[in-house]
Amino acid sequence: MPLTAYDLRYHAEQSYPLLYAYLHRNAQRFLGALKYDAFEVDLVIGHVVEQLVRLGLLGCGDTTPPTALDRLSDAQFYAFLSHSVRNKAIDRLRKRRPPISTSAELETSEGADNDEDPLNEAIESIWGTAPFSTPEEITLHLAQQQELRAILKHCILALRSAPHQLQALLQELRALGADDLLQSLLSEYQLPLPTEADPHQSQHKDHAHKKLRHCLQQRSSNLSVLIALRLTEYGKLSGETQEYSTTVQALAQPNLSPEAVRAGLQALVAEGLLTWHGEEHITLTTAQMKQLSRYYRQE
Amino acid sequence: MNEERDIEGMPDAQPNQYARLAHWIQQVMQQPDAAPSSLATTQDNAEELLDLQFDSQYHLRYYQQLPNFALALLNNEPQATLHYAALLYHLAGCDVCRHAYIDIYSSLKEALRPSGPRPFLGQGTRTLNATPPRMLNHLCRTLISQAEAVLLQERHEHVIPSDWDNQNKEEEARVLLRLALRMGAHIIQQNVRRQALQDLVRVASIAEGWQPVQPNDPEARSYTPALAGTTKTRGKVFRRADMLQPPQHGAQATFTIPLQSHNLNGTIVQHGNQLELHLKDLDVAMRGHHVRVSVLLGSLIEPVRWYGRDPHAILSPTPVADDGSLIIPLGETDLQLSNSEDYQLLETLFMLVDVRKA
Repeated sequence: MPLTAYDLRYHAEQSYPLLYAYLHRNAQRFLGALKYDAFEVDLVIGHVVEQLVRLGLLGCGDTTPPTALDRLSDAQFYAFLSHSVRNKAIDRLRKRRPPISTSAELETSEGADNDEDPLNEAIESIWGTAPFSTPEEITLHLAQQQELRAILKHCILALRSAPHQLQALLQELRALGADDLLQSLLSEYQLPLPTEADPHQSQHKDHAHKKLRHCLQQRSSNLSVLIALRLTEYGKLSGETQEYSTTVQALAQPNLSPEAVRAGLQALVAEGLLTWHGEEHITLTTAQMKQLSRYYRQE
Repeated sequence: MNEERDIEGMPDAQPNQYARLAHWIQQVMQQPDAAPSSLATTQDNAEELLDLQFDSQYHLRYYQQLPNFALALLNNEPQATLHYAALLYHLAGCDVCRHAYIDIYSSLKEALRPSGPRPFLGQGTRTLNATPPRMLNHLCRTLISQAEAVLLQERHEHVIPSDWDNQNKEEEARVLLRLALRMGAHIIQQNVRRQALQDLVRVASIAEGWQPVQPNDPEARSYTPALAGTTKTRGKVFRRADMLQPPQHGAQATFTIPLQSHNLNGTIVQHGNQLELHLKDLDVAMRGHHVRVSVLLGSLIEPVRWYGRDPHAILSPTPVADDGSLIIPLGETDLQLSNSEDYQLLETLFMLVDVRKA
């Protein structure tokens, strides 16, 4: 009887024994020398089971939205499970492999018949070649992409209600040499120039970082920027009224719900960038469109 | 989108004018608090409990976006990183979520673009009874921990309704607890089952908004199942279904679930399809009064048709007798205490029974 994500989602009680049996077989296969270590086998199985629960799949029925895993065929889902087991097994093997400290041990190790060692297959990192696998790679992308930088700008501007913290942050940006971003913030939004002497600057900076960290991880921040960008792209100019217009439904395409669009629009209203009272149709004056474009498109 | 390079082919030797800004973002995003711990390490004792990877404080909101994010990247969706920008900023500072993302990305990639032969498919039929209790134990604890994480998220975060966020978190938590309860009932050993479900009552209390009985309240009592061999009975041989033996000649065998509340005993007794709660030695303050019985987990599953339909408010038909005894019919069920699986499920169901003066 094949096992699918659907079975785990809707018939967990019946499917769990099959899942366990499959994971157990694969765990023993990939654990090599540790395959008779019951604790290690359990650990690998437990990792995958916990992952399936934490992802909102195992036993969740309709209470969680379907994910990419729900769209896999049964063969693909088995491949996903098998690879997850493999990743964890290799992780465990690496942790349990004793360090080689002498040349004699090294020779012994090389001479040993290790054909069945799963680590031999894992020449590259078990993390493979996934994009964004390091913080450096992620932050470089965040800094390079104009739209993602716009979210950073949005969150820095949200500090206007705490001028000392904003000042401390601008100081940091200046010291950092992030001139483009700094100039954009200063000129477009008439922000004050950073002042030099503030005995509490370090404290202000810490508070600013905390708020910035929180803001950047909020979907509402992302929505503000995303909707602003879509407004500049989707808004159509009417020759008669000289106003731009679009609809909530249009802004929702692709990948957004109407509720998310409305949340983003409300955030822009709160920032004074838009006049909107919850209607399906959204209209912008040319001045508002220009401001939105400056706000999120240019630096 | 203003892509300056391919998503898959990130940094190379090209000088980058944004490198310093990137470094600063990394510093800002660094989580000051300790991330959820990865608990399982190198214990050799197979009898040890298998620890959970995450506690209920893990970053559920971001974690559950990982498969879709990974798929969007694999499909080279043009606005993938903008659409998941909040997640990407989070991954810049959270090692645990980033490792989970890499794991999921790698497995999803292998599923969609296999680099080798397909793994063999699962075969045969298996039952829960053939599954090791320690793994059922682990599953139950994971489900309960996840239910708590879901409830914590609901209470602590302002959720924007969207395609990512589930609006019915309480129902999700209840579904997880219900599954834990049912799975736990398949664990035969009472001590292992207790261990597996030790947090069930606590988390269900959060879900149900349960007000616990105060320890010194003379007008209320909290009963929990007694450990096997700890109850004293007089006149009858009380049996647990997982200790079934042929009844001794002359002895009357009654299948019951023994309960206790400090020094007081109670029992769940079955007559036909009817379940009754038998209490004795109730406090003087409760004598002569009706009581209200609450079965905390009663609303999670439906094998019992509760009298009055509300398992949290079952009113006693008679007042507590002068000697402190009382029999309260609770409801009807097709489950039988004489059947070991049914017994385990019912014993789990009665993990917390509160009795309060009405």
